Amino acid sequence: MITLSASSVFAYLLFPGGLFAVLFGLLLLSMGRIAVARFQGRVGPPIYQNIFDIIKLRVKEVLIPEDVTNKLMFCIAPVFGFVGMMTAIFILPVSGVYGGTGASSDLIVLIYLLALPAVSHILGGSASGSTYAAISVSREVILMFAYEISFIIVLFTVALAAGGGDGAQFSLKGIVDYQITHGSFISDIKMIPAFLAFVIFMLATLEVPPFHIAENDGDVMKGYLMEYSGMPLALFEITHALKLLVLITVLQVFFMPGIAGASIIVNLLWFIGKSAAVVACIAFIHASMPSFRVDQAFKFLMIVPILLSLMSLGMILFF
Amino acid sequence: MFSKYATKSPWLYRINTGSCNGCDVELATTALIPRFDVERLGCKYTGSPKHADIVLVTGPVTVRSENYLIRMLNEIPDPRVIVAIGICPISGGIYRDSYSIRGPLDKHVEVDVNVSGCPVRPQSILDGVAQAIGIWKDKIKQFHEA
Repeated sequence: MITLSASSVFAYLLFPGGLFAVLFGLLLLSMGRIAVARFQGRVGPPIYQNIFDIIKLRVKEVLIPEDVTNKLMFCIAPVFGFVGMMTAIFILPVSGVYGGTGASSDLIVLIYLLALPAVSHILGGSASGSTYAAISVSREVILMFAYEISFIIVLFTVALAAGGGDGAQFSLKGIVDYQITHGSFISDIKMIPAFLAFVIFMLATLEVPPFHIAENDGDVMKGYLMEYSGMPLALFEITHALKLLVLITVLQVFFMPGIAGASIIVNLLWFIGKSAAVVACIAFIHASMPSFRVDQAFKFLMIVPILLSLMSLGMILFF
Repeated sequence: MFSKYATKSPWLYRINTGSCNGCDVELATTALIPRFDVERLGCKYTGSPKHADIVLVTGPVTVRSENYLIRMLNEIPDPRVIVAIGICPISGGIYRDSYSIRGPLDKHVEVDVNVSGCPVRPQSILDGVAQAIGIWKDKIKQFHEA
């Protein structure tokens, strides 16, 4: 049960949600850009680059196109994803630092919250009246249909595994506590396929190169962001940063919530270190992979991650 | 107050107005991506003209590309900087006085930086972008005072 108290407002607005999450997410995005640059033999941008991008977009003029099909939706679409991600980072526990909201079934809420950035892309893109945005939105819908299935199977696998034999554990806090006492799921051979399926889901949601389809500069220019400029675009960028942080936190909650010690500071540094390592792995995949076509990506996502996650689910249920 | 930090993040947008592709190759492969990395200055290529801060124009503005150039330039939000890349948008180059040319570029829009060469050298593109960032800083100040 969530009550409105000073500590929950603090957690939503400052730490670990809100300001901390936005700044840390933007730093993670810049770290990813630097890592990609280093893999390609370049120097890369400075570490605070994405924060300056947001400041830059604040000074730019905001253009609203004349032929926008739904002006109200065009203006409020960025807010959906932003609010969804702010709430997701609020309910997610950071092991040893922050306990989350402690609600008994917040895992189910997470399914809906994680879909919100894609929904805001779809609403904003289709309201903008641009042909490129229309193509990009249709691709996003196709991909979303494919990757959400495997995410839901992984989620139930984790819930069943954390139940420990009697029913499923739908509380994020419960999942973290189970793994702290019984060992992380990443060291469990039964959960490795689910881990791989979740990594593929992460790549598809973040739209890094094997799934860089919906906003590929090469063929659909900037996709659903085509007509956005100034502050709405900055809100989309912040949402992207928060989405990266949320997915990394979900990965840690599901598979590696191990704690490093009793102190909050040590655990926070451990969390930051693990997040940076995950970003480096994503950057390695980003730098070394070409992109799928949309039909290839759909086939891949319908076969590989779903089979992997079903394999894990079967092993958890029957062994 | 923000103009100091804002200039650390110029986003680049390329417009090809009938170029022979020489300057575009220099922009895309040699100068801005692998070796003479312009991402150090915070630049990145954007796909949409609405995200652009520094516009790099190549080519001598042919008859067929003239309308598209004007429409594209109208879609770029202020404050912005226009950079002419190569001799073609500056004076017409070898295509000067041709029947199919509506150039040079400064007939259509106020050009801030000229980077000459045929094709341009990577070092001079980087120099041009660095100068454009300086001009852009003043433009941000003017834009917010106005």
